[in-house]
Amino acid sequence: MTDEREITLTVNGTEHTIEVEPRRLLVHAIREDLDMTGTHIGCDTGNCGACTVLKDGEPIKSCLMFAAQADGAEILTVEGMEDLPEADDIHPLQEGFREEHGLQCGYCTPGMLMAGKALLDEHPDPDEETIRDAISGNLCRCTGYQNIVRSIEYAAEELENRAAADGGAVAADGATDGGPAASPEGGHAAPEFGGDADTFCGREDCCGGPDGADPFDRDALLDDAGDADDTADADAGTDANDRGDTK
Amino acid sequence: MSSEPDTPDAETEYQHDDDGGPDPEKHCGHGRGGMGEEVTRKEDKRFITGRGNYVDDIKKPGMLHCEIVRSPHAHARIEEIDGSRAEAMDGVVAVLTAEDLLEHDLATMPTLMDDTQDVLVNEKVKFQSQEVAAVIATDRYAAKDGAQKVEVDYDVLDPVVDAEEALEEDAPLVRDELEDQEDNHIFDWDTGDKEATETVFDEAAVTVEEDMLYQRLHPAPIETCGAVADWDPGMDKMTVHMTSQAPHAHRTLFSQVSGIPEHKVRIVSPDVGGGFGNKVPIYPGYVVAAAASYVLEEPVKWIEERSENIQTTGFARDYDMTGELAATEDGVIEGVKVDVLANHGAYNAAAQPSKFPAGFFNIFTGSYDIEAAYGSLTAAFTNTAPGGVAYRCSFRVTEAVYLIERMVKVLADELEMDPAEIRRRNFIPSDAFPYESATGWNYDSGDYEKALDKALEMADYDHYREEQQRRIEEDADKLIGIGISSFTEVVGAGPGKQCDIAGIEMFDSADLRVNPTGNAVLRVGVQTQGQGHETTFAQIVAEELGMDVDSITVEHGDTDTEPYGLGTYGSRSTPVAGAAAAVAARKVRDKAKSIAANELEAAEEDIEWERESGEFHVAGAPDRSITITEIAAGAYMNHPGDEEPGLEAVNYYDPPEMTYPFGSYIVIVEIDRETGEVDFEKFVAVDDCGNRINPMIIEGQIHGGLAQGIGTAMLEKVTYDDNGNVTGGDFMNYLLPTANEIPNFDTGHTVTPSPHHPIGAKGVGESPTVGSPPAIVNAVVDAMSHAGVTHVEMPMTPDVVWETLDEVGLAHQPAHNVEFDLGDDAEPADD
Ligand code: FES
Ligand code: FES
Repeated sequence: MTDEREITLTVNGTEHTIEVEPRRLLVHAIREDLDMTGTHIGCDTGNCGACTVLKDGEPIKSCLMFAAQADGAEILTVEGMEDLPEADDIHPLQEGFREEHGLQCGYCTPGMLMAGKALLDEHPDPDEETIRDAISGNLCRCTGYQNIVRSIEYAAEELENRAAADGGAVAADGATDGGPAASPEGGHAAPEFGGDADTFCGREDCCGGPDGADPFDRDALLDDAGDADDTADADAGTDANDRGDTK
Repeated sequence: MSSEPDTPDAETEYQHDDDGGPDPEKHCGHGRGGMGEEVTRKEDKRFITGRGNYVDDIKKPGMLHCEIVRSPHAHARIEEIDGSRAEAMDGVVAVLTAEDLLEHDLATMPTLMDDTQDVLVNEKVKFQSQEVAAVIATDRYAAKDGAQKVEVDYDVLDPVVDAEEALEEDAPLVRDELEDQEDNHIFDWDTGDKEATETVFDEAAVTVEEDMLYQRLHPAPIETCGAVADWDPGMDKMTVHMTSQAPHAHRTLFSQVSGIPEHKVRIVSPDVGGGFGNKVPIYPGYVVAAAASYVLEEPVKWIEERSENIQTTGFARDYDMTGELAATEDGVIEGVKVDVLANHGAYNAAAQPSKFPAGFFNIFTGSYDIEAAYGSLTAAFTNTAPGGVAYRCSFRVTEAVYLIERMVKVLADELEMDPAEIRRRNFIPSDAFPYESATGWNYDSGDYEKALDKALEMADYDHYREEQQRRIEEDADKLIGIGISSFTEVVGAGPGKQCDIAGIEMFDSADLRVNPTGNAVLRVGVQTQGQGHETTFAQIVAEELGMDVDSITVEHGDTDTEPYGLGTYGSRSTPVAGAAAAVAARKVRDKAKSIAANELEAAEEDIEWERESGEFHVAGAPDRSITITEIAAGAYMNHPGDEEPGLEAVNYYDPPEMTYPFGSYIVIVEIDRETGEVDFEKFVAVDDCGNRINPMIIEGQIHGGLAQGIGTAMLEKVTYDDNGNVTGGDFMNYLLPTANEIPNFDTGHTVTPSPHHPIGAKGVGESPTVGSPPAIVNAVVDAMSHAGVTHVEMPMTPDVVWETLDEVGLAHQPAHNVEFDLGDDAEPADD
């Protein structure tokens, strides 16, 4: 059509120059011009959050912004999560969603991951209310949110453990890239079900249980954290109990 | 099932611990991901990494985009459509109207209830946003531009949106194109024994009656409906990727509508972003995309916007009900009566098995042993979107459960009895199964009291009853309400002779092929929209065949490769396709025995299969054993001369009966007497879905369904104004609950296996949506019942609750004594 203009978007670290009409929505530029279809569309009123991406580190609804408004911006989408410095094979948030069954149809998941990422960048150790607030702009019709909250808690704990284990190295790396601002201030317990969950049934008293299979040496991590304060310890205990109740 | 091989007894074979969990001795010990294990989902990786493949993600060379022009009026005659200005625009390839479709005999399509719906309006618009024309263009923006330039002249008519008004004599006629249709009446239906029920009511010591509306809802999956149709003139073949919960049935219907032979139609339902009944019917958009692709010989994509989804595709419920109970002084229920006025919208497009115009609504005797029951229903056309789909529900069982569970609370209040006690007094006793209800349902198994007792204990019931009393006595600012629902579901349709969709019996299927290297592919006729079939069904095969769950791939959703099945809705996947998977695996196991005999040089009768190890061995000689992997190799490389090579089995499973999952939910709410706000203090859900395949997935399903139940009870309603304008037709006005409205749930379970299901499973996905709304409404009513409140209509928004409080003198004015009028825009001042 008429009036196209050239814009530059750096998406997941790669710079792209594309021609767009001024009215083209950012979400369409990402999905259709750049063929990254992980970011979804679920409404026409800015209510569902399926289109959430990070723009210069801030979570935005990419259906509410023109691509041209994002000219020159750094965008993070779900496709970029595996390559973030805090990701191993996959990002701890992605791991959390799988381990805690934080998704069903998966349609809201990329937006939830982005909302979760924005939250943890800001608050590495959020309480449940903060998590619920942070994802309240993202609708999920499948999960009832409870397991999404747990998934984000899982990631927060995992990131803290790593930060503690690395003596803060990851946090330092991450800070330059909008990565996790995880500071090793809390001595959170290791994720309850670490390791090979594909063959672990989830029950403590069975299949070797997390105690037998846990690849994260909880005590060692707590020791490493050294200055872990008491409050954080108490929190960790409550979290673990909450999970135990309904598993 | 003619040839069911080697069937274990579902009641004893799959052992459970006291709590209903898997018995570590017998099951968890396998560690191969079989029944009862919390295996993380095989499908998750693609979704968490952005590699899912939903319909809107599909891009084909030369693909065009379709935008539908919709009527702004609810009721209007079309005088003229002029697409010439649109056609002249850059990027617009074609404008289609009913006239174009008529040429190809595609102007109308059948609904699932055998009505005929316009694909594009031919003469008269019957509801707002109905499909009037379609613009096909090279990109989605050009298509939208084009749609705005299509000029339509309407002769606007008076609409009727309310079902009761629609049945009045001088109401505007919605369906004047139908011969013999002189009013808006669609059908009458009744069930049970009217005379016997009247007699019981005449003689009863106590009767109660209550009116209640199950409001119009929309399933609103986060992914809307859409399709990419691709006609291949070289192969004479139509491929449609579409958001379908029932791809095989859709192929048959597509073929019938289009005249393209069925083997030349391929429907693929790729990843689907939630269905909940919304993606069971066929919608005009799918047909338009296919017609456009056929005419233009290019792929055509149609993706619905959210407002189009809510305003035009299958709504649910909209049953205006009156319930009555007859009982003795001490609370024994003797009779139940129901009268319903159903708003079906502009077409009869409900999604029910064809012999059930009101679905399974006549299971309204619920979990109770009631001697006499009678129900009657009238359905009406109105100028609203067509629907009546089963929103996470087995065909109107949701309305039935709401009715009976609400009425039991009404009766308890009338008799001043404890609502738990009155339920206990009327439950079908656990030794009465199989049980035939007054309206003819054959309940397979149940232990209702056990589930209720467990829920009461988890909820700390007695404590909250005391707390409730204390607050009443102290005239506290916040009231406590305790709601119970002890529901029974009926799921897993067929049997085929009883249940069919457009004549096709509701069986389902599984095709299991073990490869030479010992891994396997299971293809099923159902289709997942988030339920986790790729994991659950692999677990069934892992259990029955002694394989590791990781070596089994489950495929679904492609009519070219999968066996014919009726699809996923009505919680039928586990009861029907899950059964087919188990039977297919057992057939493979039987054949494996002959190969094992050959490999181990023993007689076939002497080969035994051991569930624990998953291995085959010679009877009495456990160390002469062989695994399924070795057997698979044998089947292809050293097959016994008297057997066919290969290791594969297919099963088409026609269930002998439906299954009857049940549960007890207890909701404890706190109501703010100043604002009418309702807070969930505690939400306990005890479910019994028979033997459990993957507890993690089951709990996830329950959480999701409970959240939908909260949406139903507290927030959601599709509303219309008198002119037929949809006033609750997008996510600004149709409110889905967010993480802030949903509490944490305490889930528990009991296990009462289905005696007729091969693995004793019953299906679970819908129990929470079915069971929770009455528990929530009962809780809110319970908080105010001491002041005489017997009912509050859904959705129970704060203003509705506050007005109810006010009516019975329970409302408190804000502490700072500022009077305010809810009708006023001004917020109450804050000190
Ligand atoms: S698509 Fe952006 S908020 Fe719904
Ligand atoms: S997982 Fe389906 S919408 Fe969230």
